[in-house]
Amino acid sequence: MKSRLKRGLLLTLVAVFFVASPTFAQAGPTMTDTHIARVRANCQAALITLEQIHANDAPAYINRNQTYFSISDKLMARLNSRLTLNRYDATQLVRTASDYNTELTKFRAVYKTYDNAMTDALKTNCKKEPANFYERVSAAREARLSVKESVDQLTTLLVQYQQQVKQFQEKHFSDQVEAKR
Amino acid sequence: MNEPSVEQAVHKPWYRRELFVFIVGSVIIALVLVAVSTALYTSSGASLLDLSRPGYKSVQGEVKQTDSFEAFSSDGPVDRATLDKFQQLYQQQIQSVSSSSGFDGTALSDQSLSIDEPASQ
Repeated sequence: MKSRLKRGLLLTLVAVFFVASPTFAQAGPTMTDTHIARVRANCQAALITLEQIHANDAPAYINRNQTYFSISDKLMARLNSRLTLNRYDATQLVRTASDYNTELTKFRAVYKTYDNAMTDALKTNCKKEPANFYERVSAAREARLSVKESVDQLTTLLVQYQQQVKQFQEKHFSDQVEAKR
Repeated sequence: MNEPSVEQAVHKPWYRRELFVFIVGSVIIALVLVAVSTALYTSSGASLLDLSRPGYKSVQGEVKQTDSFEAFSSDGPVDRATLDKFQQLYQQQIQSVSSSSGFDGTALSDQSLSIDEPASQ
């Protein structure tokens, strides 16, 4: 009797979970009819703008990715290696270079997410599904913000590395240090 | 008694079935290989670097075709002149990525796409 009651309770809980789930998925700001009408009216122009932005972002990404990688591969890694070979303590520089490489990997990942989000928005039939289109554009905007944040973080790390090299130079090769030698 | 009749031998030659399996098998293998390579092309991020895709022809010229990046030597002594040379190379390279603000958020704003909610009257 008890086990039957327990089973019934469990089934009810499972049923409630499945019924309630779509409610959570639909939660969020609802669009008014006037807003939907505005999206439907202007979406063709918005699509053209989105296509242009998407197309222009591709070479920007390629150039940035190439430069970021070259800075790491042809400058940072080589200086770190040279300092270590000459028995200098390059721990800080190595750490910053490592953080930079991690951020570069993140930059590639977030750009991929952004590109997918943009592709999804561009594929949406905005006349038939204006709310869906608006939602996808919002998702693309969020993803673009993540790319921007990653770009800013990479810039911060680049400046940080430059300052650390300057500090290293002052510590080991300033006029006072050279005079002591 | 069990031998195929002359008619059967004409309509179903011995190699017919094997040839069919061979062709279908080849097509299936080719399709699987194409699917795997396409998945790799997309998942590895190589597709993002490929401007020969449809819709990107107009921006192909915007990509730097030559790598003018001067590398720093990883061996040799370390002195002030070496580090000055490094700083010069470094500054030259980071300028191109630090000066321009990439992936500005305002480009995709509701207002710039004219899909913002109309102001209530």
